[in-house]
Amino acid sequence: MGYLNNQVVTVDAILTKKGRQLLARNDGSFRITQFAVADDEIDYTLYNPNHPSGSTFYGEAIENMPLLEAFPNDTQIMKYKLATLPRGTAKLPILDLGYSAITLQQGGTLAITPQTLNYLGNQSINETSGYSCTVADIRLLSTFTGIGINTPAAQTQNQQSSTAIGQNTSVNQTLGTDVSATIIGTQINLRGTTVNTLYGAGTTVGAQIRTTLTFVGIDSGARITIPLTITRTS
Amino acid sequence: MSFKRFETQDIVISSDSITGPAWSNGVTALTSFFTSSIQAAGSSGDYYLDVFQSDPIVAPDTSVTQFSIAYCDSLGSGSVNFNDAVPFRTPTLSNFGQYRTLVLEDENSEFIFGDNTNLLTASNFYAISVDRARYKEAIFPGSFNLTLSASNGFKKIHLTDNSNVLAVNTFLGSTRVMQVVSGSNGTPVGVNGYVEASGSYGLFLPDLGTILLNPAALSQSLHLNTSRSRDLSGENEDRLFQAIKDGANFSLSSQETISSDFVFVRLRNSEFNYSENPSFISGSTGELIYNNFINQPQVYITTVGMYNDSNELLAVAKLSRPLLKDFTKEALVRVKLDF
Repeated sequence: MGYLNNQVVTVDAILTKKGRQLLARNDGSFRITQFAVADDEIDYTLYNPNHPSGSTFYGEAIENMPLLEAFPNDTQIMKYKLATLPRGTAKLPILDLGYSAITLQQGGTLAITPQTLNYLGNQSINETSGYSCTVADIRLLSTFTGIGINTPAAQTQNQQSSTAIGQNTSVNQTLGTDVSATIIGTQINLRGTTVNTLYGAGTTVGAQIRTTLTFVGIDSGARITIPLTITRTS
Repeated sequence: MSFKRFETQDIVISSDSITGPAWSNGVTALTSFFTSSIQAAGSSGDYYLDVFQSDPIVAPDTSVTQFSIAYCDSLGSGSVNFNDAVPFRTPTLSNFGQYRTLVLEDENSEFIFGDNTNLLTASNFYAISVDRARYKEAIFPGSFNLTLSASNGFKKIHLTDNSNVLAVNTFLGSTRVMQVVSGSNGTPVGVNGYVEASGSYGLFLPDLGTILLNPAALSQSLHLNTSRSRDLSGENEDRLFQAIKDGANFSLSSQETISSDFVFVRLRNSEFNYSENPSFISGSTGELIYNNFINQPQVYITTVGMYNDSNELLAVAKLSRPLLKDFTKEALVRVKLDF
């Protein structure tokens, strides 16, 4: 991964792995309709509000830093989105899943109902637009659904993700491929895979495979990533 | 909110025609030419000869096919029969049929070099097929310059296409065609750059990345004696290759149309002023790291993500340096996506 030339402000744009996948699918799902901005790579502890030279220099250590080129893996970029919040916000929204890590047995199920803390003056709410949940490797789940949001976009998205893990094989789709999947809902339902081959040859009961789940509050932009582990039982 | 929808006018689709040097490493004119004895001795060597910009034996990692030379003959002359039980069915006949189908789109049509009173109906020709990665979408008319030299070096001819003197495009079937003539940079020398009584030097087919050369014209002006022996390898590809090598100049430019999406990302002063970056808050309660960030937050944009309605990240753009954003600043970032 190379650095970008920071002598002039340029923009280095690429399609993500997900973008290429949807472009290849050729079903209209590759359609840019919205954007978000992020401050990946920025460490705000480098911001120095006590700089002896004054406020112009508070961000000196950040403003001149070179940035890395874009990563094509959609789960490795846009990690820290910027949010539009009322001026005077003292606490930023954070997500509470009730879990810091999830471990499921093969075929085991779990329902997660995220909550957003500190959002729009509420101590804890369920966001109106729901939450997106991205599993980095779809192969680890045999069921991955979101419920509670009935917008057309959410329903389409949830249908596509169901298709991607093989619930609907009538659609041309490469199964068993290490790609991410995203669903939307106020409640996220998981079921661990029962496929033994993912554990590799020579593994036995108790072996584990692991990926990540990333939850994002669609209204607040709050984000949390937790590990998901599936334990072999047969 | 962390997502903002694009307005209709924020996404503009544009198509631009891009031209550039055709040969590897951005070279416009090739002056050195090499072949591969392995390719020539293989089964494909019966049909065509690959030409490289560097020696494939000495530099196998960097040596890349630039173009191929094939000899095509409606009589099947110049190469050995596939099977002696079926005479004159040869690779050169297959080549001829292949280009007849591709270019003329009619098995009863004939290749005609030249026009008006100076034309030649040809039953054989050479085909120079440029590697697709070199010409991309089409060869840029007017950029074709090829020097051929007789083996003794005393006679040279400079060939080009006649695109500069064509008032309107001409077609063979659905294929754009120009005459190959004596001249340079798309302009013939003399009246039309043809060879007396032999028509033009060939046909230039920019959309197929192919140049057909007329053996009769080459024989007349360069003494390139094309072999039409039956059931015998005439090694005609080698003859033309040697003439190209001795001429030491083959220049070509590629042409392609790149469709781009220009996406305008507009950030209003009141938008995107707080960050979910873990270093922007202190502890697990979400409190801002600095008190002055409560009323005067300062964030640094490094990345723009473009999403579909399902919040799937389709494309991403990184800035080359962080861009300061606060309640007093607005930003406009233009992102270009090429397809």
